[in-house]
Amino acid sequence: MTSLASSSAPVSITKTTPPSLWQRIRRILNSYTVRVMAQGLLTIFGVISFTFFLIRLMPGNPVEIKIEQFMQRGLTFEEASNQAAALYQFDPDAPILQQYVDYIGKLLQGNLGESITSPGTTVISQILRYLPWTLFSVGTALLISFSLGVLLGMAMAYWRGSLFDNIVTIIASFIYGIPDYVIALLLIIVVGIQLKIFSPGEMRGGVDPTIAPGFTFEYIGSIFKFAMLPVLVYVLSSIGGWILTMKSSTIATLGEDHITVAKARGLSERRILTAYVGRNALLPLVTRLAISIGFVVGGSVIIEELFQYPGIGRNLLRVITSRDYTTMQGFFLIITISVVVSNIISDLALGWLDPRVRVKNEKKD
Amino acid sequence: MKRLFMLFCVVILALGVVVMPTFAQDEAPSGVFYGTWPYVLPPDHNFNGFASNGPNTNLGAIFRAYVELPAAIYNWGTQTFEGLLAESWGFSDDGTYYEITLKSDAMWSNGDPVTSQDVIDTYALGRIMGWSQFNYISDVVAVDDHTVQFVFSGEPSFVAERLLLKEYIVSHATYGELAAQALELIASGATKDAEEWTALNAAISEFRPDEIIASGPYIYTMDDVGDAFMTLHWQANSIYSDDVNFGSLQLWAGETEATTPLVLSGELGHSTNVYPAATIESIQAEGIRLIDIARGYGPALLFNFADENAPWNITEVRQAMAHAINRDQNAFLTNGIGARATVYMAGLLDDNVPQMVNQDVIDQLNLYPNDLAVADELMATAGYTRNADGKWADADGNLISVEYTFPAEFADFAGAAQDAIAQLNDFGFDITPRALPWAEAAAAIRNGDFSLSVWSWASGSPFAATQFFGPIRRFNTALPEDQPGISFPMQFEWNGEEIDLDNMIIHASDGLDVEVQRERAGEVALIINTLMPFIPLNVERSIEPLNENLVAGFPTEDTWLANPTGSDHPIIWYLLNGVISPGPGAA
Repeated sequence: MTSLASSSAPVSITKTTPPSLWQRIRRILNSYTVRVMAQGLLTIFGVISFTFFLIRLMPGNPVEIKIEQFMQRGLTFEEASNQAAALYQFDPDAPILQQYVDYIGKLLQGNLGESITSPGTTVISQILRYLPWTLFSVGTALLISFSLGVLLGMAMAYWRGSLFDNIVTIIASFIYGIPDYVIALLLIIVVGIQLKIFSPGEMRGGVDPTIAPGFTFEYIGSIFKFAMLPVLVYVLSSIGGWILTMKSSTIATLGEDHITVAKARGLSERRILTAYVGRNALLPLVTRLAISIGFVVGGSVIIEELFQYPGIGRNLLRVITSRDYTTMQGFFLIITISVVVSNIISDLALGWLDPRVRVKNEKKD
Repeated sequence: MKRLFMLFCVVILALGVVVMPTFAQDEAPSGVFYGTWPYVLPPDHNFNGFASNGPNTNLGAIFRAYVELPAAIYNWGTQTFEGLLAESWGFSDDGTYYEITLKSDAMWSNGDPVTSQDVIDTYALGRIMGWSQFNYISDVVAVDDHTVQFVFSGEPSFVAERLLLKEYIVSHATYGELAAQALELIASGATKDAEEWTALNAAISEFRPDEIIASGPYIYTMDDVGDAFMTLHWQANSIYSDDVNFGSLQLWAGETEATTPLVLSGELGHSTNVYPAATIESIQAEGIRLIDIARGYGPALLFNFADENAPWNITEVRQAMAHAINRDQNAFLTNGIGARATVYMAGLLDDNVPQMVNQDVIDQLNLYPNDLAVADELMATAGYTRNADGKWADADGNLISVEYTFPAEFADFAGAAQDAIAQLNDFGFDITPRALPWAEAAAAIRNGDFSLSVWSWASGSPFAATQFFGPIRRFNTALPEDQPGISFPMQFEWNGEEIDLDNMIIHASDGLDVEVQRERAGEVALIINTLMPFIPLNVERSIEPLNENLVAGFPTEDTWLANPTGSDHPIIWYLLNGVISPGPGAA
């Protein structure tokens, strides 16, 4: 008893004493949000460093690639080297650690550097030129395919075994197995060239170059018109995945006890579908959506090339081919940040949607 | 009254004579030329002719001439130059300089005349940028407003002449300030290692002119560079403005995969992209004409002479391989109808052999017909016998087991390599194919890290020395010391004499005596033909769609059609001189 009394006394004192600064800091550091964000920052730094060294391990550097092109025209190595060195102010023989320190130093100041193959052109200006187009086209497509996919998947699970379910399952499985570039080629060749429903030349680019840029109905309409085909390809190639995942997730949720209880309580089907099934079935899709959102900025190399859409993907191929290290790093940086940030948001959202996730993590600590 | 009327008519007629040319010059012709070029988009796209992603990148070897004219263009059929900016050109009698006189009526789009100062400025900046012309010349001097002399640093040569005549001339108005700095730096005696030189070099690379000043009949601004196409507009001040028949040139962006739908949908007038055989068939099925133009190179089978585990140092083995490969089949599998089996096997493009070497040499050339019996004999001479599996084995029973690397992305070279492997394995070799990313495949050859490989031979140049360059010098003596390349020994005994093949190739096209050049080229051709240091598998052709609904008047037979696609494309001459015009479907 004595021991119990003596041990309980300090507890009550602790409860009334305000936490020390160190305890507060520890509490903040241990909080789920901060941990997720710190992990994100660490991941970004890790990926930046990894890609920095990885792209330099690729065969050929920007100068070597240029030398190769010059030698193809009949120049000796010496002549080609002189001309390549004159074009690019880049020393491939500089110590790699020095290059890394320079790069990180500039990055901390918000400076992504200049393109190696376009001296005088900043990487940030390249990103600003191409990123909005990719964000718009891939983002719109993701929004459409996710919304449609979730709705259809849910409906299919609810009316499991119906004709509607069977037909949509077959279609979704079929289109999910076709690569996006095959869909794009079929669209251009069959619908464009053979059926002549649209002219391939008139649907290229990001916007009609004859329309003056501005917040006009005509200009914005043109942006939507030119994004139509790439968006259609992205939607067709990804919607199958959303449909099938949502269907299986919904089926799993429908079998859970709380749904049976809700049915026993006499709740309306609509209420059960939206408030009980939909919300829970969506949980597994949140992570996938987050990853997809993250990859929105990367665009699609082949689709953007086929439609000459002026996004990141179209230019990524060019900068990789010419080994433009700084531009590659810039493009990879924003893709990394975007993927990591969207994952952080997904982690936080999961914690909010499903408190078990947050509690489990906090308990671990 | 009658006299007054007559006087009135005379005045009107006189006015007509004076005013009409001016009036005609101010009106753009109608019709659009639909071409294609893989230009880059802004902000990389720039107007600096000395920087990367400038006019060389964005307009390429065809379209740049329509904006910034060179002095002349070479007609491969007649083997003569035709002047573009130049009125006359030629070597001085004593061979110490080359002189170009510009056309006196040549004008820039801003109304300035094209003068010697433009040429001086072009070469001043070119010198800082390490241009190859300065391997031959030491100075560029203006004689008067329209005449420039290029002072040779050594022996005059036709190679130097070509380099000087085909260079695009840029405007003093745009580059004058930088050129003045360059001239001052050169006059100070600075060399390329000097800090000032490097600083000026950087300044030139980073220079971004706001506009292009054109000497050709077309011009464009950054507003004309769209995502899907860029448009070059007709301008009135060029000496060719009256001759061209197109009001604008619309260049679709992208490479083969992007332009294929446009060819098939009839929206592309002419394209120089390389289309696969199946696409070519589809194009033909659409009724689109195909023009067959030299490409100036083809795939060659390369040996690594430093590979101690392979018998590549035995001439008979290499000769046997040349006999064992059916080059017609190999050509078809390289690029369909866009490749032809090599005929002369002498390191020179077949079309140019008759003009580059004498007939007595041609008569001595071994054409290496596909003859397995001869190949068997050569292998036996080399000390090989077939084992029980039909594979060639040396006296110790060792098979010829090697890897053949090839660039995976180059469909033509990959096709050539895979077919050669299949044919040689059928013949009794044990070769394993190994596909690599192209940059890695090229690096492997340079670093001597291969046994067999494939890369291009010859080049689109009218000179034997340049055609011999690849691969025997390019992947050998032209490399730095730390890159062994194919390791083919270039100094050896030949017909009882010690020779330096490298030196013979370098000087094959020196001087101005064509007969001497033919003799030199003949000697090298015979050596290559006998030793087979590489096997020139085939020569590629450029099969280019030409939609006659959009482009009319492209000749079917003409000396210009001997020009290769990569340099001196015939369409440059045809468009500038009004030979081609808008077809019935060109808007």
